[in-house]
Amino acid sequence: MFLEVERVFKSFQKEKVVKDLNFSLDPQHTLSILGKSGCGKTTMLKTISGLVKPDSGRIMLNGEDITMQKPEKRNIVYLYQEDLLFPHLNAFENIAFGLRLKKISESEIKIRVNNMIHSLELEKQALKMPNQLSGGQRQRVSFGRAIITNPSLLLLDEPFGSLDSGTRQRMQVLFKKLSAEFKITSLFVTHDLKEAVLMGDQIGYMREGMLKVYKNKTDFVNDPETGVQNEIEFWDNLKIRTGTEMSGL
Amino acid sequence: MRLNWKTFVLSFLVILVLFPFIYMVLLSLATDWRFPDLMPNYIGLKNWKTILNSETGLLESFFQSLFISLSVGIVSTFSGFFISRSVYYHPKRKYLNLLTYFPYILAPVVFAACLSFFFIKMGLFGNIGGVIIAQFLIGFPYAMIFFSSFWNKKIRHYEDLVATLGGNRRQTFIKVLLPLAKSMLLICFFQTFLISWFEYGLTSIIGIGKVQTLTIKVFLFIKESNNYYGALSCCLLIFPPVVLLYLNKRYVFKNLV
Repeated sequence: MFLEVERVFKSFQKEKVVKDLNFSLDPQHTLSILGKSGCGKTTMLKTISGLVKPDSGRIMLNGEDITMQKPEKRNIVYLYQEDLLFPHLNAFENIAFGLRLKKISESEIKIRVNNMIHSLELEKQALKMPNQLSGGQRQRVSFGRAIITNPSLLLLDEPFGSLDSGTRQRMQVLFKKLSAEFKITSLFVTHDLKEAVLMGDQIGYMREGMLKVYKNKTDFVNDPETGVQNEIEFWDNLKIRTGTEMSGL
Repeated sequence: MRLNWKTFVLSFLVILVLFPFIYMVLLSLATDWRFPDLMPNYIGLKNWKTILNSETGLLESFFQSLFISLSVGIVSTFSGFFISRSVYYHPKRKYLNLLTYFPYILAPVVFAACLSFFFIKMGLFGNIGGVIIAQFLIGFPYAMIFFSSFWNKKIRHYEDLVATLGGNRRQTFIKVLLPLAKSMLLICFFQTFLISWFEYGLTSIIGIGKVQTLTIKVFLFIKESNNYYGALSCCLLIFPPVVLLYLNKRYVFKNLV
């Protein structure tokens, strides 16, 4: 297994936010994690990225114990819902940011960033400042900035939460394409049922700090706790009602 | 023809604001200007030449003030920036923020009187180092209050993002935090420079007349009833703030808008 999380607990004061986190993930796979607000998803991602220290437990990445490693040494990139583009840098420099931190040569940065800009279809936006970009374009730059550093693991915390439905759909397609192109292993947190199913090779459901990872999508759909059955029922009822109204005409 | 009241009022206000400054410059260039003469008998650089070449030490005070204010401005701004970050991440930041208002509860003279015991003990009375430290005790809390609004959740997210992208603490400051705070740093520097430049009460007590900043000198001339020299030192006194105001308007606000 590429990522192994074993018996991780995290509390803030007396509140247990993450309880007995146990799961593993294969390389180049995406695990979608669904859950309501405040169920501990963000704390779980921050614990894996090293931004929050776990109270106990172990996190293994590619066979190495990274539990006590500093975030900058883990090669795990954490992406927020906000794009967090640096306002003083243009799109090109935002994407190049991680490479500059690693002191990679200027010529290589130029080649890699231009390739990334091409993959993101942002050729005409390369020299624009963040405030001149649309929401979708900003999010693409944010993705590019994360992926170009070739992270071992990408953690996405509701990355499309602030986008309109059309842009969100396009971004989902783009993420799938980039995941395949750059062989990304990722944890994708969302509260959107459809998005979780579309984006993940595996699906997990988090509730009150406990994560349950399903063997396959059928198990996930059949579990009444996930709310998928309610959703199906709703659309079925709507279909029947619409059908009756149509036949009444 | 209709009288344009707006232009009239505006012109009047401009004259009202500019008159003291024009009058001050004129006074610094004049000698022997007595009532009922409308204009002085002599207008020229005689006063300036006399005072700058004489032993009044005005030029020395000017450079001394510049050194003190630049030191206070730079140290207060940068220490305020870095320490306000630590305060923001501190669990008891509410109480720590409250403490920063303490130097402003007391009048500067009372504050200086409170500090004087410690300054005497440490041998900081009557020297430039002591004055810089005393003024820093006013400038630093100002910088702390000023930067408390800079640190927020979003800035923390930026810091976290840089860390996960592989950046260390130094890189986070140099590549992200300092560029993000550039305009605020400049404004804070200007403000703390001005606080120090015009500081009188604290400087007069801690400096005990040995450290004569330009502000102290102006008051001395005024006490001596030497209007011409008083005006001249006032001209020197307002020169750096005017330059700073110009730079502020030209570079900082231009970037903010």
